[in-house]
Amino acid sequence: MNIIVIVFISFGLLFFLGGAIGIIRMPDFYSRLHPAGKLDTLATLSMVIGLALFNLHHFSLGTLLVSIKLFLIVFFVSLASPTATHTIVDAGMRAGLRHWTKKKQRG
Amino acid sequence: MRFFAFIVVCLTGALLLYGTGEFPDWGDPNSPASLHLSNYYIENALNDTGAPNFVTAVVADYRGFDTMFETAVIFCGGLACFLLLRDFREKKDHYYRHIPTGVILHVKDSQKPLTIGKEFGYMDKDWVPPDLIIKTVCRILIPFIQIYAMYVVAHGDYSPGGGFQGGVIFGSSLILLAISYDLKTLVKRVKERVLGIFAAAGVLLYAGIAALCMLMGGNFLDYSKLAPLVPWNSHHNIRAIGMLGVEIGVGIAVMAVMLIIYINIVSEGRHDEGL
Repeated sequence: MNIIVIVFISFGLLFFLGGAIGIIRMPDFYSRLHPAGKLDTLATLSMVIGLALFNLHHFSLGTLLVSIKLFLIVFFVSLASPTATHTIVDAGMRAGLRHWTKKKQRG
Repeated sequence: MRFFAFIVVCLTGALLLYGTGEFPDWGDPNSPASLHLSNYYIENALNDTGAPNFVTAVVADYRGFDTMFETAVIFCGGLACFLLLRDFREKKDHYYRHIPTGVILHVKDSQKPLTIGKEFGYMDKDWVPPDLIIKTVCRILIPFIQIYAMYVVAHGDYSPGGGFQGGVIFGSSLILLAISYDLKTLVKRVKERVLGIFAAAGVLLYAGIAALCMLMGGNFLDYSKLAPLVPWNSHHNIRAIGMLGVEIGVGIAVMAVMLIIYINIVSEGRHDEGL
């Protein structure tokens, strides 16, 4: 049981690490939003699965309720985070920010 | 003159830094703050008040006066925003958008807005077509955010939370409505007068519960005197119930004031256009 939990949580941490590196390394505004939006869904999902399993060690109605609440977090994050990313990109397009191309890469 | 101001700022900063040298160390058990009051709160809050979360017990019971006037300060903030920014003059130029064709009408020099049917929509200089994705997701999320806000208010005496936080969450759910649609949608649903009444009613609920304690024969804000009003309560946590009532008042006031400030600032006091 513990091993499964550790695998899930380290999987989530790996994704968070990749996303964080992506936010720093990506060349412009839009491509930086891409890892930022990706992070919240898959990494949060896998970490919450790990935490919910760990919480169910002592199975009872109370711990089950807490696990369901944890999954509610995933539900709302996966609903709100892509929408927020979409909104920010939309606002960037409306404000007239050009996307990055390889030719303009300087400095 | 600027040089003089710079010297004054530097001197003040140096004095403040010098003053911090006299402070007790972080977490020092012999500092005055942790010698007298904190120990009393930690040991006796549950027995005194029946509220498991003693932060709420301190904020709403031991320091009830402080929180009451904090709520009054927030109310005054909303009032000041209204008095300074609200602009009752009607705009002279109006824009209307014919929805099926997208043609825009510009009506100049008319004091009153025309009565328009369903084919025309209002329009203003900040108007952007509302995005379907954002609208739909916000419609799904807003009720959940509001339920969560009430949970935070109601759970104030069991877990972190309380009136201020819950009120802010509730207010921001309504601000989300204004952002995802437009300001007119919000103003149409939540009237300015209702907001004003709510802001005052929240403070009045707090002060009213406090005054009720006085009517029942105790001191101002002495919740234990409310026990005869709640005969079904058998757990001796009457003070926690009084705190809950007070927190609900705080929540209502904070929610209304948040909306008053937001609407007045984004629309420059005209309540017609804005974000």
